[in-house]
Amino acid sequence: MNGATLAADAMALPLQTELLPEGLNISFKLLPAILVIGMMLTFLAAGFLYKVADSDDMWVAGRSIGNVENGMAIGANWMSAASYLGMAALIALSGVYGLAFVVGWTTGYFILLIFLAAQMRRFGKYTAPDFIGDRFNSDTARAIAAITTFLIGFVYALGQARGMGLVGLYILGDPGIPGVTGYQAMMIVFMVITIAYLSLSGMLGATKNMVLQYVILIGAFLVGLLVTGWTAGFSTILPQLEYGVLISELSAEFSAPFAGGSYYLWIATCFSLIFGTCGLPHVLVRFYTVENERVARWSTVWGLFFICLLYLSAPAFAAFGTALYGSEIGAVYGDPGMSSAAGDVIVVLAAQLAGLPSWLVGIVAAGGIAAAVATTAGLFIAASSAISHDIYATIINEDATQRQQVLVGRLSIIAIGALSIVFALDPQQPVAALVSFAFSLAAIVLFPMFFLGLWWENTNRQGALSGMIVGLIVWFIPMFNEGNFGLINGGAGWGIDVLATWMPAIGSGLVGVPIVFAVTIVVSLVTDEPPEKTKMLVRQCHSPDPMDRDVTAAEIVAQKTEDRVTSDDD
Amino acid sequence: MTGAERPQSELDPDETNRSPADPDPAEETTLRTDGGMSDVEREQQIDYLDVEINLLRPATPFMRDHQRVILTGFAIWVLTTFGPITATRLAPGLMTQPMPILQFPLHYFLLAIVGPSSALLLSIWYCRKRDEIDEKYGIKQGIPEAETAESVSEDVTAADGGVSE
Repeated sequence: MNGATLAADAMALPLQTELLPEGLNISFKLLPAILVIGMMLTFLAAGFLYKVADSDDMWVAGRSIGNVENGMAIGANWMSAASYLGMAALIALSGVYGLAFVVGWTTGYFILLIFLAAQMRRFGKYTAPDFIGDRFNSDTARAIAAITTFLIGFVYALGQARGMGLVGLYILGDPGIPGVTGYQAMMIVFMVITIAYLSLSGMLGATKNMVLQYVILIGAFLVGLLVTGWTAGFSTILPQLEYGVLISELSAEFSAPFAGGSYYLWIATCFSLIFGTCGLPHVLVRFYTVENERVARWSTVWGLFFICLLYLSAPAFAAFGTALYGSEIGAVYGDPGMSSAAGDVIVVLAAQLAGLPSWLVGIVAAGGIAAAVATTAGLFIAASSAISHDIYATIINEDATQRQQVLVGRLSIIAIGALSIVFALDPQQPVAALVSFAFSLAAIVLFPMFFLGLWWENTNRQGALSGMIVGLIVWFIPMFNEGNFGLINGGAGWGIDVLATWMPAIGSGLVGVPIVFAVTIVVSLVTDEPPEKTKMLVRQCHSPDPMDRDVTAAEIVAQKTEDRVTSDDD
Repeated sequence: MTGAERPQSELDPDETNRSPADPDPAEETTLRTDGGMSDVEREQQIDYLDVEINLLRPATPFMRDHQRVILTGFAIWVLTTFGPITATRLAPGLMTQPMPILQFPLHYFLLAIVGPSSALLLSIWYCRKRDEIDEKYGIKQGIPEAETAESVSEDVTAADGGVSE
């Protein structure tokens, strides 16, 4: 695939529909602008304070992060524009179908917890590609995993960019730059800020910031919800439970079971999101930053708790937004109905329509930006470490110095940022849909490798390679079929109906994950078993013996094997 | 499916027992104080580098206990995650009835609130169970000695907070 040509095509395409959320007050607002800019400066200052040149510190913060702090970082890392904005959008626009996102994006953590978190920590490698490369003894597997990580970061970031651009419109307005829409200008401004910040700080800074970002984000969301519900007369102190009364007053589309998507689509989407959660490299990297596997487990619980605070509130925000939109702007459903751009800012819109003062709406909007920045930061770190650590230092230049690695890491952050900006100039899908494509990819290509790699020692290199290659192909099929990102026929895609019904890109994991599992298992069975040393690596991940900090499973295996040889010699 | 290719030797727990991985004297002492539970004793003898890892066939007492918790949790999780939407598909009339007091249509409440909350409760349940298993087998983890001495006391409190939550 020629990225340059694609990018050029995307640039040349006339922008048919400008992204303009109807009803949103688009103008420059001083107080919200100060809030956001002050917030970004705080992030940059924090990033500067923690600026590090040592790449060990850069990637996993020296593994010194505790339970609650790591839980909050998991929360901030996780709660992207898709959670903060996109989920309420889908619940408002697609009703019960949108709840597949609430369920999928929370319950997936349980699977992550029982099957992967602690074992990943024991394995003790820096990145997801590192795990795959070492577990399957293959630099090719490592490279495929690194490319997948990069691709996930890119697709995921498109959703974040769209969120930043739309919310940016409320805060800074349309600067009126000729040839660039207001959305595009805002999207570029905030993406550049994210990249500048990330280029300066490594993960130590980023993690500290993420605790800060979580607090800002959840505070803004919950205060916004509380005040919106109160002012509009929908709720008092517990809007998360009180919106139930409102549901019967909303159009039937809001709560009718399968009005916004079929049962199959619901299950497929939810399944993809659950197993995507377990395969996302920027989520897993959080488990390398903790003291030991018990902390890995409990910080997952804390992470889920912090995530649930937002996820139990988003449907309430959607209900309030839907009610206010219906009474003040027009019918939410039907033609024309609420646009997907307005849907994506429904959280901000609800606060604005409830008549909150602009500084308060600004806080809600600033939280949306924080959500997008925090997640984009985590994604870009995972993507750039895939390039600098897994491809550059491991495959291209084995003698790379730390300085060279850090340089390559920074350059790849700038590269992925630029690529995301180009493709986010005219995104065809709402935030949550864009992000869920990345989840499908993580579910199909990476999750089976993690799961089988940790739970079945006979999974071998051939199995993993064929599984991942089949997985990538399987992921691309529905993407091409639906013409996402304008890739095929200018965005029309192949348009095969059967495929679109049974294997939608938004939930392709339901079909893809079992296929990749089957391929990996069958190929592993018919080829040679992995070497004993690799099996020992897997066994070490399951041993209950406590492991010291900064020790990897591979080191323990090497040491024990040596001990045995010595004692045999005796 | 994964059972077919089980490699020969060392995999039977009983056989593993007799494997020559001699525990060091310190471990022997803790073993005695453990009250002589047979699972625990057997576990002490096992060198994990000789134990086959297969989710479907746990090879040690510890892994068997752990697997039981994992699979029980997983089964409940399947019900709480996919049960409500499936029930709504099967009996839409019944499932969309408004609930007393809260007024939510039942399916909406089960999906939006019960789904995420039960994943959280299950997670807490799992971590506690796992801590219990660790305790049973005398696995000490969570607050490494070195850490208490250092400036990371905040993290230690956090770890404790996790348990009491």
